Amino acid sequence: MKKFLILGSIAAVAASLMTGCAGSSEQVSDPTEITVYSGRSEEFIAPFFAEWERTTGIKLNVRFGDSAELAAQILEEGANSPADLFLAQDAGSLGAVAKAQLFIQLPTDVASNIPAEYVAANRNWVGVTGRARVFAYNPELLTELPTSVTDLTNPKYKGKLGIAPSNASFQAFVTALINSKGTEFAQTWLEGLKANDVRIYAKNSAIVEAIDKKEISIGLVNHYYIWEVSEGLGREINVKNGFFLPGDLGNMINVSGAGVLASSKKYAAAQELINFLTSQKIQDEFVSKTHEYSLIKGANAPTGLPIISEFGAPSVDLNALKDIQRTQDLLVKVGLL
Amino acid sequence: MAQSAKEHRVNRFFTSRGEPVSIHPALYALVGLLLAIVLIPFVYLVIRAFEKPLPEIMDLLLRSKTLEVLLTTSVLLILVVVINILFGTFISVGLHFVRLPKTHLLIVACVLPLAIPSYVFTYTWLALVPSLSGILAAAFILVLTTLPYMMLAILVSLRRIDNSFIEVARTLGQSRFQIFFKVILPQIRASISAGALLSGLYVLSDFGAVSLLNVETLTVSIQNMFKSSYDRSAASIISLLLIVASILFIAADEKIKDKKAKENVFKRMYTEDSRINNLRLKSIVLACVGIYTSLGVIAPLYVLISRFVSNPNPLDVSGLVTASISTISVSAFGALIALMFSAPLGFLIATHAGRFSKVSERIILIGHALPGVVIGLALVSLGSKLGAIYQSVFLLAFAYALLFLAKAVAAMTFSLQLVPQALKEVATTLGKSKTKVSTTVVFPIALPSIGLGTLLVFLTAMKELPATLMLRPTGMDTLATQIWSYASINRFNDAAPYALLLVVIAAIPTFLLSLPGRDLDSEANESKSKVGSLT
Repeated sequence: MKKFLILGSIAAVAASLMTGCAGSSEQVSDPTEITVYSGRSEEFIAPFFAEWERTTGIKLNVRFGDSAELAAQILEEGANSPADLFLAQDAGSLGAVAKAQLFIQLPTDVASNIPAEYVAANRNWVGVTGRARVFAYNPELLTELPTSVTDLTNPKYKGKLGIAPSNASFQAFVTALINSKGTEFAQTWLEGLKANDVRIYAKNSAIVEAIDKKEISIGLVNHYYIWEVSEGLGREINVKNGFFLPGDLGNMINVSGAGVLASSKKYAAAQELINFLTSQKIQDEFVSKTHEYSLIKGANAPTGLPIISEFGAPSVDLNALKDIQRTQDLLVKVGLL
Repeated sequence: MAQSAKEHRVNRFFTSRGEPVSIHPALYALVGLLLAIVLIPFVYLVIRAFEKPLPEIMDLLLRSKTLEVLLTTSVLLILVVVINILFGTFISVGLHFVRLPKTHLLIVACVLPLAIPSYVFTYTWLALVPSLSGILAAAFILVLTTLPYMMLAILVSLRRIDNSFIEVARTLGQSRFQIFFKVILPQIRASISAGALLSGLYVLSDFGAVSLLNVETLTVSIQNMFKSSYDRSAASIISLLLIVASILFIAADEKIKDKKAKENVFKRMYTEDSRINNLRLKSIVLACVGIYTSLGVIAPLYVLISRFVSNPNPLDVSGLVTASISTISVSAFGALIALMFSAPLGFLIATHAGRFSKVSERIILIGHALPGVVIGLALVSLGSKLGAIYQSVFLLAFAYALLFLAKAVAAMTFSLQLVPQALKEVATTLGKSKTKVSTTVVFPIALPSIGLGTLLVFLTAMKELPATLMLRPTGMDTLATQIWSYASINRFNDAAPYALLLVVIAAIPTFLLSLPGRDLDSEANESKSKVGSLT
């Protein structure tokens, strides 16, 4: 009996601490404004925010920054964070905040149309848009396309392939590779690339530019960079997106996503914002305006690209992508970082 | 000089460095409080670092990656400092002793790169040479960025060299080289050391250039750890390592200084007529200045202007205006706070040569080596517990004051040391009160350099990015954050107007800093450029 009492009181204390963390704060009903930390850049997301303000009358205070730096900032702020919603470019940043238990568990009626594979296991965050890993290539230089990402160690790509090992999206891919096939496999592949005289670039966009300039013929990037580079240069570029065979890890989908801060006093409005961003109408606009994939089943693909089920995105545990340290250590060991 | 006990008591307030002083305990208390504020980031780092168990800390410090990063940082630091010393000394000495057309304009041109943030330098140079990458490229960009610090410092001390020494050496049949090494160099060593210190600390704290050029220095490591593994403890441990590196560097820099050389003893007596009029020397110096300004001013401006002109998108005038106003006002606010903080600190350091003031001076200097992201996160950690102050303009301005306090304190210390002791003695013996002496004697002389120190904090704060991103009020844009915002999605054409405007606005204080005193006999005017040397 005594033991139970002790256990019970420990549980009670723990629970009170937890709820303390989770913001036992009173919720504000009908807020006039909410605060968003956005790792997505202003240029792309601001029109959607403006549309939300027009339709709901709830003002958004938006703090723009780098996703990972905003995640670090939220971790530092803890229970005192002024943020109601965190919108991040990648699952890794969301995972870091979720791990620190700073997100609420979202009710099942929030973003109910987003498939489970793009939602955190405990519903701490949901995916908002999809970003496919692809190979970008110059159709003048490359006529026979690779069928698997593992093909790229083939001598026929010697000196012709570009990667951006310091970039978060490449590291997320390598993390997925390690998670599904093991460190040894990933190391062999990376060493193969290195031996194949792989070209190193600082950013995805630099790879796409290099392909356009015919410095290289193929590169591993996210699918939307051909639009970003072309819009940045103000002209058409001679670069296309290609997918490997369906199910190949090289076709992986990472997501941008959102979570509601446990310290928020405006859960309901923040959840509404997630519903807005994942609504059919806004998802379609993401596809047409920012050239991202909608995560809703059966949604259209960005112009000229196959839909997700067609190119066959492999199943990847997005929750497991936040652990990048091991990936970076491996990249350093192989000599790519 | 014999002084009566009474006079001594009256004068103690102004006793110059090295003499015994008695300072009001309230000043110590105030300085102590300010030092505690300066130490906030250090406390934060220690708390975060020791969240990890000791063996893990040792593992992190001793793993080969850390040693590699430390090596990269040291090599880059040495490269930049050595190139700066050689090139900076040569150009400065050339500009001073060789008769050239429009010397003042040439000096302004050489100092102008100070108005360009290192990340803008790197973006523009990457536009010209896309393959730019690695440690040599980083050294190149960082030399372009920091050379003005070196030149400002050296030019000031050159102006103080007594021509008669050189004349004597010449009549003794010494060659130009001998004169340089035996007469000139000893007198500018302290300034070279000051310039080396500043450019070195800049290299340690820079993130923009090195990260864009794929060079992993300690600061890049720290940022990567925050970013990729969200490991604030590991990042804090590496930050502490960065502090150790900067302490070692500051100690090494002391060796450059020639302790025997006395500064500020001689007045400038060098006249225009006695400048060297040798055609070969003239063309070499002009070529050096030409190369530096083409690489450091014309090339980046060319890229920015051509991007700006070729941008088909309409100019967002209201965005540019709001961002400029935010930038100017919050930077000015920060400079003002730095000025307020620097008064008691500078006063103590200038008038009291004890261990306490030496330690204070070092602490302030070490703070200068910390990257913006560390100060930013430390203030996020503390500020988020303070309610309304968090993410207010005040906290951001406060961060600027903390980041650039070393500049303001150096200017304050120098300007207070500048006031001739005799002048104060005369004033006090004439029966003026302490306050009266301060307002009528000390301030008129010290004010110009204090003002320029404040200007310098203002200039640097305008270019600051990482702390600005973390601490700005939600929704507030500055020119620097707008440049970042567009550059991060490769819209360099859209970033160009903001970058151009930032450079133009920053060029105004830069221009004021580069102006030499017109009346060369006036200590106060001379101090203008001296402050530049103390950046």
